[in-house]
Amino acid sequence: MRALDWVIIAVYLVYVLVDGVRRSKGTREIEGYFLANRSLPWWAVGLSVMATQLSAITLIGTTGQGATDGMRFVQFYFGLPLAMVILGVTLVPFLHGARVFTAYEYLERRFDARTRSLTSFLFLVARGMSCGTIIAAPAVVFSAIFGWGLLWSVALMGVPTVIYTMIGGVQAVTWVDVKQMALIVFALIAVMVTLLVQLPVAPDHALALAGAAGRLRAFDFSFDLTNDFTFWSGLVGGTFLMLSYFGTDQSQVQRYITAKSVDQARSSLLMSAYWKIPLQALVLLTGVLVFVFFLFQRPPLLFNPAAEQAVRAVEPARYEALDERYRTALQARATAARAAAAARDRGDRGVSATSLEAFRTREADVGALRTEALGLARRVTGTSAQDVNYVMPYFVLHFLPVGLIGIFVAAVLAAAMSSIAAELNSLATVTVIDFYRRWVRPEAPDAHYLLVSKAATGLWGLFACVVATFAATLGSLIVVVNRFGSFFYGSILGVFLLAMIPRARATGAFFGLIAGMAAVGVVNFGAPSVSWLWHNVIGAVTVVAVGMVLSARRSSPQ
Amino acid sequence: MSDTPAPDHASRLFRRTLLRVMAVQVATLLLLWLLQTRYTG
Repeated sequence: MRALDWVIIAVYLVYVLVDGVRRSKGTREIEGYFLANRSLPWWAVGLSVMATQLSAITLIGTTGQGATDGMRFVQFYFGLPLAMVILGVTLVPFLHGARVFTAYEYLERRFDARTRSLTSFLFLVARGMSCGTIIAAPAVVFSAIFGWGLLWSVALMGVPTVIYTMIGGVQAVTWVDVKQMALIVFALIAVMVTLLVQLPVAPDHALALAGAAGRLRAFDFSFDLTNDFTFWSGLVGGTFLMLSYFGTDQSQVQRYITAKSVDQARSSLLMSAYWKIPLQALVLLTGVLVFVFFLFQRPPLLFNPAAEQAVRAVEPARYEALDERYRTALQARATAARAAAAARDRGDRGVSATSLEAFRTREADVGALRTEALGLARRVTGTSAQDVNYVMPYFVLHFLPVGLIGIFVAAVLAAAMSSIAAELNSLATVTVIDFYRRWVRPEAPDAHYLLVSKAATGLWGLFACVVATFAATLGSLIVVVNRFGSFFYGSILGVFLLAMIPRARATGAFFGLIAGMAAVGVVNFGAPSVSWLWHNVIGAVTVVAVGMVLSARRSSPQ
Repeated sequence: MSDTPAPDHASRLFRRTLLRVMAVQVATLLLLWLLQTRYTG
């Protein structure tokens, strides 16, 4: 990175800090601090919803996934548009119309205090931990590629975000999100254009090579419950996951209940419905083009520099021999790729098919050597190299022009900060509204709640940074936290679905929620190969079924 | 709850919005499908 890149990053950090802090003017009351007095326009809320969902690991991990695995991850989002439309006519009018601060507050009005407290407690545990992992994932990558201490990487993202979220509240979160989303999209398009310009073959040939290597396979219609990314798991499991995430997770609900009206809240969600799949396809396609780029430029055997160093130190001879074979395989693959592109240029279909087949064989050779190297790294370090997360950073730092590197790194920071800010804001809201104001100090002046809210935001920020520092050193903790969340995500959705059924009763909702989590636990431990996307379906369906049976048995009105 | 739509209005709105959103998604998926079939051997 050159001085210009560092200047761009510094300007970005100072700008978001100043922009966020100056939003504190409209937040003298708790309604302004947490809900912006329900005054925000739909397009700002919509961009904030998208920015919250798009984390740093989407920008560096998903592009890496596009490069190493192709487009099939896009299927994960197939349920999102349907979920958004369903939410627009079901939960959004309920939650916006109920004038609540949190989604869980609504559950007490509909059922009882214990259902509200249990769901909000589950949210705090899951989101508190996941907020730490959202900081940890990019912090680990920054540490490895820049050689910074982990604490500095965590602080770079955590400190400015905590400051502007603490001072500016939801107004700061939303308006900074708008700028961050613009920066992210700009950086992605700029990288895509640069890639197309730098590729030594025409776009049509690049796509042919990517297709021959299986990178353009976006659809898998097999009905395999153990496969995370199929058309069916994306459509069915994905719909339930997105219904749960956007309908019951306070970090998302709080975005759209700040909108001016129900219609504006709906419109903000529809922005995601329209643009999420195209945006995700763009992210993955950028990764696919990075794969094509590395057909003609030598990529390292291991992209993760820390893993590479560890393997070189412990198994130098073995790694060197592997690297030598890798270099030879790369040369053969590059020759095959050029031959395939030339044959396609001549328009000779027979030769083109044969040369693409030869390229496919060479690509399989390279893939086998990479798998061997990753296995070696796992044995040496005792953990996965998470190499996929380092493909994009390697490309950015070594091949993007000066200036664009700074813009891309700033975009990664923006993606991380937008997600962290929304989570801190929602964690503070649930802490103050669902616990402090509900159980500790029900009657207090607004100024008192505002002070407690700011303190809660700061404390959650501190907690997230501490978790990030530990999560980063315990790689498997990230997986544990994600699995933990999937234990009750679907179950919480089930409670909200029950809330919309007039005959459902409080006891049914509370015990249904526990039954839903238990059912997911049984599937998780009894059939661990079942993809976690299906956990959401199992949890939600169990809660509704058990809840309705119990409600029918206790048919007395609340 | 004054701005909550009436059930028939909500269902009309739902159908219309669903159609529009799905039209955009179908176009996107069609593009992805074309990329897959044209370039994946």
